[in-house]
Amino acid sequence: MSYLKNSLLLFSILLVAVGVAFILAWLYTAEFTSYADMKTVLTTTTAVFGTLLGIITAGLMFTQGKFSELSSELSEKSPDYLANVLSLEKIQSIETHLLALRKAFTQLAATTTVTEERNLYERIAAKASSMFVNFAVLANLKLKQQGLPDTGLLVSEMDSNLYKVYEKERKNIKKEWQLLNITRKIINIWEAPASFLTEKSNRGSALQADLKSSIHVLKLKESVDKSSTNIRSEVTKALSDLGDEISEISNRFHKDRIPQLLTQMEQSGTIRGKYFYLTVMFITTPLLINLLILPQLSETTANFFKPIISITSSLSVMGVTFLLLYIQKILNV
Amino acid sequence: MKKTVEEQIKVLFEKHSLPPLEVIIPILEKTGRGEEELSRQLYDTYANLAMGIKEILGLKDKNMKTLVKVWGIITSFEGIKIQPIELDDSRFSFSLADCPMLHVGKDIRLNVKSKFCDLICTSAGKALLDTVLSPHRGTLTWDKALIKGAGKCTITFESVKDR
Repeated sequence: MSYLKNSLLLFSILLVAVGVAFILAWLYTAEFTSYADMKTVLTTTTAVFGTLLGIITAGLMFTQGKFSELSSELSEKSPDYLANVLSLEKIQSIETHLLALRKAFTQLAATTTVTEERNLYERIAAKASSMFVNFAVLANLKLKQQGLPDTGLLVSEMDSNLYKVYEKERKNIKKEWQLLNITRKIINIWEAPASFLTEKSNRGSALQADLKSSIHVLKLKESVDKSSTNIRSEVTKALSDLGDEISEISNRFHKDRIPQLLTQMEQSGTIRGKYFYLTVMFITTPLLINLLILPQLSETTANFFKPIISITSSLSVMGVTFLLLYIQKILNV
Repeated sequence: MKKTVEEQIKVLFEKHSLPPLEVIIPILEKTGRGEEELSRQLYDTYANLAMGIKEILGLKDKNMKTLVKVWGIITSFEGIKIQPIELDDSRFSFSLADCPMLHVGKDIRLNVKSKFCDLICTSAGKALLDTVLSPHRGTLTWDKALIKGAGKCTITFESVKDR
C-alpha cells in the first residue's frame, strides 16, 4: 500500500515537473537569439550537469558502500540469533503465553462495560496478537533454516486479518538479516523506552506495562468479587515468564548494538530515496539530450534545436530543485 | 557487570509500577467499592519505590532533604515536572502543573475526582513520609487546584516537630 502511494507520489511529481518544464520552455524560447548564445548555454549546462552527476554518483557509491558494510555486519550476526538466541523451544513457549493472553483479554474486553477498562484489554489483545504474528514469522524462518517442515500450528491460531499480516511480514523478508527487524518490532511492542525526564505520554505504552496495569485492575476487581482471581494469577505468570524470555533476547540485542545498526540502515535507505532518483533523472535526461545535440549544433540547425534546448534547460532547473531537496533530506537524517 | 544507578532505578520502577488511575477510577466510580484496595496498592507502590531509591542512593538520613531527593526521582521518572516553592529543615513545598487526576476521563464528576485526589495524595504521602521520615513524623497537604481548573496545584510536606 505504501509502495503504491510512493509510486503515485513520484509519478505525480514527475508529471508536474515535466509540465512546468514545458511551460517554462514555451515562455522562454524567444530568449535565445543567436547561435553563439545557444552554444554557450549548451556547453555550460552540459559541463555543470556532468559534474553534478559525477558528484551524485560518488555520493551514491559511498552510501552503497556503507549500506553493504552494515548489511554484511547484520548478516554475520543474524544466523547466530536464529540458531541460539531464538531457540525453537523459547519461541514455542512465548507463543503459548501470547496465545493465552490474547484469548483471555479478548474475553475480558467482551464482558466489561467500562470504556477505559475495555480499551486496556483490547490494547493488550492487539499487542499480544502482533507479537504472536512476529514470533510466528521467526518460527517459520527457524524451521526453514533447520530444513524442517512448518506444521502450520501457529498459523491455525490466526484469523484472516492476522494471517494477512503474517504473510506480508514473511514475504517482506528477502535477506536473512531482516529477521533482526522483526526482533526489534517484538522488543518495541514488549518494552517501551523508559528514562528520566521523558514525558510519560511520549513513552507510549508497551505490552509489558499494559499487563502490569491489568494486574492492578484485576487485583482491585478481585477485592470486589473473587471472579478474576484465576485470570490474575495466569496473567502474573505469563508476565513473569515472558519478561524473562524477552529480556534475554533484548539484552543480547542491545549488547550487539543491533538497534543502532538497523537505524543506520534506514538512514542509508533514506539517502537512496525518491529525491535522489528525481535528481538523477532530471539531471541525466537533459545531459544526454545536450550531448546528443552538441555535435549537431551549427548556425543552420540552431533554429531547429532552439525549442529542445529550452526544454532541456528547464528540465535542468527541475534537476537542481530536486538536488536541493535531496541535500535537505540528507541533512535532516 | 554492575548496573549504573539509573539502570537500578529503572529496574525498580519496572518492578513497582503505579496503578493505572485513568482505568481504575472509572471502574471504582461504577462499582462503588474497592477504594481500600486502591489505597493499599498506592501505599505499597510508593513505599517500595521510596525504600528502593533510598537503598540505591545510600540515603540514610531521615530528614526533609532525603524526602526531596526521593520525591524528585519519583516525579522525574513519572515525567511530572515540579516547581519548588519552599524548602527548609521542616518544610518542602512545591507546585505541579500536571497530575494523574487530570488524565482521568472527562465525564468523571468533580466530586468523584476530588474524593480520589484525596485518596491518592493521602496514600502516596503517607507511604513517603512513613518510609523516609518514620511513621507519624510528617504531614502532607494539597490544595486540589488542578482538578478545579487552576493551572497549578500546591503540595506541602511538613515534618512534625519534636515535643
